[in-house]
Order: sequence, then structure tokens, then C-alpha cells
Amino acid sequence: MKIDDLTRRTFLNKSIAMSSMALVPNLMSQAALAGGHAGTMVIAAPATPQSLDCEYDVSLGTFEAVAALYDGLVEFEKMPDASVPTAQREDTAYYADKVGGVNMKGKLAESWELQPDAKRIVFKLREGVMSNWGNELTAEDVKWTWDRKFGLAAIGGFYTKVSGLSRPEDVRVEGKYTISFNLDNPNPLILKIHPNLYNPIYDSTKCKEVATDDDPWAKGFIENDSAGFGPYRLESMARGQQAVFAAREDYWQGKPAIDRIIFKEVPTSASRVQLLQGGAVDIAQYLQPLEIKGLKGVPNVAVETVPASFMIWIELNAKMAPFDNVDIRRAMNYAFPMEDVMSSVYQGLASPLDGCMPNIYPGFIGGSPYSYDPAKAKELLAKAGFSDGFESTLSYNAGDPVQEPIAILYQSALREIGVNLNLEKVPAGSFYNAVSQREKAMIFYVDSPWCPDPGYSMTLYFDSESFVNYSNYVNSEVDGLLKIAAETADEGVRLDAMGKAQEIVMDEAPWTFVAYPNYTMARNSNLNGWTYYTSNNIRFQDFDKS
Amino acid sequence: MTGKFNLFFRVLKKRPDFMLGYIIVFLIIIIAIFAPLFAPFDPIKSDAKNYLKAPQWPYLMGTDATGMDVFSRVLYAPRVDLAIALLGTLLSAVLGVILGAIAGFYDGSGKVAGFGSAFIMRSADVVQAFPVFVFAIAVVAVLGQSIQSLVMAIAFVNAPIYLRLMRSQCLSIRRMRYVEAAYLAGTSDVKIILAHVIPNSIAPLLAQLSVNIGWAILLTSALSFIGAGVEAPTPEWGSMISMGFQNIVTGHWWPSIFPGLALAVTVLGFALVGSSIEILADPVRTRKLLLS
Repeated sequence: MKIDDLTRRTFLNKSIAMSSMALVPNLMSQAALAGGHAGTMVIAAPATPQSLDCEYDVSLGTFEAVAALYDGLVEFEKMPDASVPTAQREDTAYYADKVGGVNMKGKLAESWELQPDAKRIVFKLREGVMSNWGNELTAEDVKWTWDRKFGLAAIGGFYTKVSGLSRPEDVRVEGKYTISFNLDNPNPLILKIHPNLYNPIYDSTKCKEVATDDDPWAKGFIENDSAGFGPYRLESMARGQQAVFAAREDYWQGKPAIDRIIFKEVPTSASRVQLLQGGAVDIAQYLQPLEIKGLKGVPNVAVETVPASFMIWIELNAKMAPFDNVDIRRAMNYAFPMEDVMSSVYQGLASPLDGCMPNIYPGFIGGSPYSYDPAKAKELLAKAGFSDGFESTLSYNAGDPVQEPIAILYQSALREIGVNLNLEKVPAGSFYNAVSQREKAMIFYVDSPWCPDPGYSMTLYFDSESFVNYSNYVNSEVDGLLKIAAETADEGVRLDAMGKAQEIVMDEAPWTFVAYPNYTMARNSNLNGWTYYTSNNIRFQDFDKS
Repeated sequence: MTGKFNLFFRVLKKRPDFMLGYIIVFLIIIIAIFAPLFAPFDPIKSDAKNYLKAPQWPYLMGTDATGMDVFSRVLYAPRVDLAIALLGTLLSAVLGVILGAIAGFYDGSGKVAGFGSAFIMRSADVVQAFPVFVFAIAVVAVLGQSIQSLVMAIAFVNAPIYLRLMRSQCLSIRRMRYVEAAYLAGTSDVKIILAHVIPNSIAPLLAQLSVNIGWAILLTSALSFIGAGVEAPTPEWGSMISMGFQNIVTGHWWPSIFPGLALAVTVLGFALVGSSIEILADPVRTRKLLLS
């Protein structure tokens, strides 16, 4: 660059990029490697995986690793995204003519047969699929994987339950390459649950080899290493710094296009932006809306944003006054400055949360009864006996940069109706605990149900016994409707029940409904192949460099 | 008294930077008191229609990501920062002076009081063994996040400074003839400490006080910056920097740079005032300065 070309902004950008690089040791040399060798992809992420065992860990980065190291039995077919034609996304629509009503293709399973009453499904596995330890995939691996869920009864316990499995014997080895799932009652999720990243298949031969009497399910091993049938193997992992993955030559679908993945921890989003702009990384994850906006038009950077399964809302604790009063909860929604939040905080990169499940999933009815109406909110407060307002505290995550401005805008809006809102910043490390303890009056939550099904989504958040029902919402009619949806394979009956449940939940407002944030891919423009998944993470094997 | 004023002005004439310090501190105090008169907008009223406006009329320092006026917030911030820093520092001085006087007066006395003196000093060693910032975070974490906790954190981390200063003053003063005379006249220990020891040790403490207020403002802001201090959207410089620094990369520098500058200038002002008091309290250094 000639000195004449150096504008103030480019100088500042380059300077900040250089200082960001100084903060990330070795990234420059890795960038040089990435630039000169199309076989390496560097990803700047907020955090490296804390553990590789998805039975216990839900931290950022864990699922990118799980998706690279393991394969599941089946996956959704892909289709071009309607808004970004260069991107693909899963086809999660309902198809009456397809098995289980879903458009799936085999991964480790090459075919499957679902009984019409949805009480039994039989998978025929591919032959000759090898793990990263050189062991061939058999039905015993699938059996051991599901036995592990029963044995550890951690997150997997939820998946055995929603799949309708009552005991380990329900998963049966029918032959060397044949496995069946047998249920007591019909279960509509019997097939849909398998693409979920919480259900990877382990190489049981290796796992049994490293298991001990104290650790029969190889927890210690799986937490730090892998034994799977996925496209990559773990080369190294230094928590808080980086994880490196190497493509497997013997992967059953052929070696992935990119040889090596460097998954680098860069905690601040501003640094991730600068590294992408400077060409030091190929992908910068989890950027702020303003940063995304600022990246548009930057040479060699492509930014694509698509509707996603993400939802953000504020839990209104139904067991704590005054949120035990439904009119107060409705008033809190009428007082939410939705338009302001969409335009200033999200910069148009989100849509209003006008439902209680992802709007991209089948069965979503939408149509929120709420819009910003302070007069209506005041009326409801008066009806509930709080005409002078009240005081409450909203807790938000210090690690999520959008929550603080939303909270401040909400605070100002609530002041207009006499509600005095205090704000409490909770450190990112303890935020999830604060949510799951269910003792805060109002607390933000961001989540996405990873199974594109209305029954699954609604059960997660609104079943009175669900562990994710963090607003303590209880409605026996909703519980009954969820039970209907869980126990029939008749899609018409299920959709009808879930439509009614959504109407009740929207009316009773256990949340302040905030937004459906888009998923954004900010990448080097020579990187192709991005697919959006409802699990909101990337799969390294999708990419190649031009 | 006139002589002291003359001396003060002669020192200021020799060191105009000290004058700058006094002007800064004076202005900050005036701004803190009269902020509602000077500020054009409500400092905690967000306005999403006017978010991240660059400095322009009527937003002299622009607006932040939620549309709050940065100028109004910068003006209101010393009310919080100064109040916390002043209260915390005064509390630490009172705590440090009392404990330092006891520790110095009874040092090596061999009685139970002597043991108490040693205990006080070792406790101070323990407190000072931790880095100030880490210790302050720990105090806020234990007491819970509030303005009161910040005041307590500042008091705890600064008290050993005054304690040591007071003790060293006390060690020399307790051997003065007037103290011995008071002792022989049957004056109680408490009365000797309150009437003779503390008043005669106060000058270096005052110098330390001013410097510490500056540091206390910095500590308050640092704690707020990392999210352990004042809750948003209370106008406070550290919290404002924290809310705005992510926007620097997108070219929106004003929400964080202006509070940063205000913080830097304020700390400089208190540091200069502290240095001037330190010189004025020391006749040798004052003479040296005036003769230079």
C-alpha cells in the first residue's frame, strides 16, 4: 500500500488488527500458513471446547468439535437457503410422503425402516466404516452409545426420555450391522432425534479399551480425546488457546477438502473482526450486529446472515410476585420497546420473537398478541392492582454484548409505566447457574431447540416438569397438550395440539418475548460450502477453498 | 495563617502544574455538585432513535449504543466516582490512622497491647500481600455488587497505607518530650493518642489522602469496567468505557474515549494536588523548591 492510500480509518483498522494479532501468539504465522496453504482453515471463536464429552458439556465450541469428530446415524437433506443462495440449510419441513414425515439421508446408517405406529425403528448400518482408531462400525457401537446415556443419566437421560426409550434393553442389536429401537408407546421423534449433535456414535471397541472399573463409560477419555467415525481426528487441544483437527484419510465419505482446522480462542469480538479483516483467520464467529454491519463491503470478506433457530427472551419467574400474575406478565410484553431493540441493538439482523418456538420449524403458528403499547400496559398493571408500578431486577449475561443495551432500553420503557427496573450484570461464567436455579425474578435466556419439531420445542420450555422450564411456568392444559403430541405419530393431531399450546403460552406470557437473532457467517470470501444447521454451529467438512 | 497562604502561592508560582491540579479538582467538584444544571439530557434516558450519534449539536460528545447522551453522563459520573472514592478513602484513613496510632504507640511494649500492635501489623502484611485489584475484586465478590461494597473495598485495600504511615509517625512522636510530659502528668493513653500523637502526624496523611482519592477513582472505574462495580446504566466513567469500548472497532470511538479522558484528567488532578501537599508538608522540600 502506498502511503498516500493510507486513510485514517485504514490506518486505525490496520493498527488495531496488528495489536489484536499481538494478543494472539502465533496467529500471524498460522495466517501465513492459511494463506499459502489452502488445506488449512483458521477459525476465531469466543472459546475453545471445555470438554469433548457432550454428555456433560454444552460450552461454546464443544459442538463444532463433536460434529467434526463424530457422525450420527442420519442427517437432514440439504437445500439452498432462500435468502442466501450460496448457502445451504437443512430441509426440516414436514413431508407426509416420507418416512417419519422428514426428508433425511443416511450417515452411518444406510437405510432404516420405521414401523407405522412409530414404536419401532430398525437401522441398517454401512459396512466398512472405520473409526479414527481403525475399528469397524458395528451395531455394538450404537448399542454402547445409548447404553452410555442410560448409564451416565446426564444430558443423555433427556434424550432417552424424549426418544421414548424406557430401558437399555429397548435398543437391540439385531445383527452385526443392524440395530433397532423399540418403544412401549408411539413416539414421533424416534427418527427425528438422531441427527441431533447430542447423539454421536462412539467407537465402543476403543472406549471399552480405555474404560476402567472407576470409569466404565470412558468419561476421562472422551472428555479429552475422541473415538468416533467423523471426518476429523483431534490433533491437539489446549483449552483457552486452540484446538487443532486433522482430516481423516480413511473417512467413509472420503477425506474432507480442508486438511487441517485451527480452532482458535479469541475472546473479544472486536479482535475477531480485525483478524478476519486482516486475513489472519478464515472465519470469525459470534460477532456483534454493528460489527457485522461494518464488515459488509470489506474486500475479501463475505458476510451472510440467515434466519436461525436462535431465540432470546426474558424469563418472568411465575413463582415470584408480581410475575405470578398473568396480567403483569402481559403488561411486561406490552411495555417492551420491540422496534427500538430491532433497529438499534440488532441493526435489522433479527426479527421480533412473535412466537414461543423457532419460526423456521414446522408447526410454528406465530402471531404475537403483543406490540409496544404503554397505555395498554398501564391498564393491565392497574387491573392487577399495581397502578403505581413496582420494582424488580433484570439479570443479564455480562458475556453477551446485546443483553445490556436491550436491558437499558427496556428499563427506560418500563419507567414510562411506573415500573422501576434494576439491572444486575451476572458474570458469563456463572450465568447459566443463575438461570437454572430459577431464583431470579427476570433473567435473559438464549437458546435453540435442536430438533425441528413443535412437540420437542414446546416440551423443552413449557412442560411443567422440564428441566429447561426456567420461568417456572405451569399450566395443566399445556401439559396435557404436550402429552398428546409426545404419544402420537399422527401429525395432524400433533400440529393441532401444538398450535393450541402455542396460543395458550403466548397469551399467558411466561416470557418477555425479545427476538429471533439471525445466524451470521463472517468468512474469508474464498471459503465455500457453508451450510446453516439448526444447531447453530458449523461443520468443518462442508468447506473448501477456491 | 497569612504566611501559610503566601507560602502556598509561592509554591504554586514555582510549580504551575500544581495550580492546574487544583483547578481540575475544583472543577470536578463543581461539576459533580451542579451536574443537573449543566447536563442537557437525562443521563439514564435511552433513546433508540438517536443511538451512536457522532459528537454534534445537541449531543456534544455524541450518544452511546442505547442513545444516552455521553456528555450528560460524563458530567454526572463524578457524582458516583467521587462519592465512592471520597468515602472509601476517608474510611480507609480513619481505619488506618486509628490502627496505625495503636500499633505505633504500643510497638515493642511487651504487654498485651504490644502483642496487639504486632497482630495489627501482620494483618496489614496479609492484606498487602495481595495485588490491590485482585483483593478489591474479592471484597466485592464477598460483599455483593453494590456501591457500599465498592466503598468497603477501597477502604480495605487502602487502610494499610495509612496504617503504616501513621505508625511510622507515631514511633517518632511518642518519644517527644511533650508526649512524655503528658504521660508523666497522668494523661491516659487514649487521650495522648487523640490529643498529641494524631494531630502531630496528620500532614503526610493529608498528602496521601489526595493521591489516594485519585487512585480510588481509578479503582472504582476499573472494577466497573470489568463488571464488578457500579451497575449499568448508572453514569460512571469505568462502566461507560466498558459499555463503549467494543464499538471502537466499528469507528464509534466517542462512547468510551470521552469518559476515558475525563477519568485520566481527574486522576491527574488529584495526583498533582497530592504532590503539592506532600511538598508543602515538608519544610526542607518546600525550601528547596523555592530556592531552585
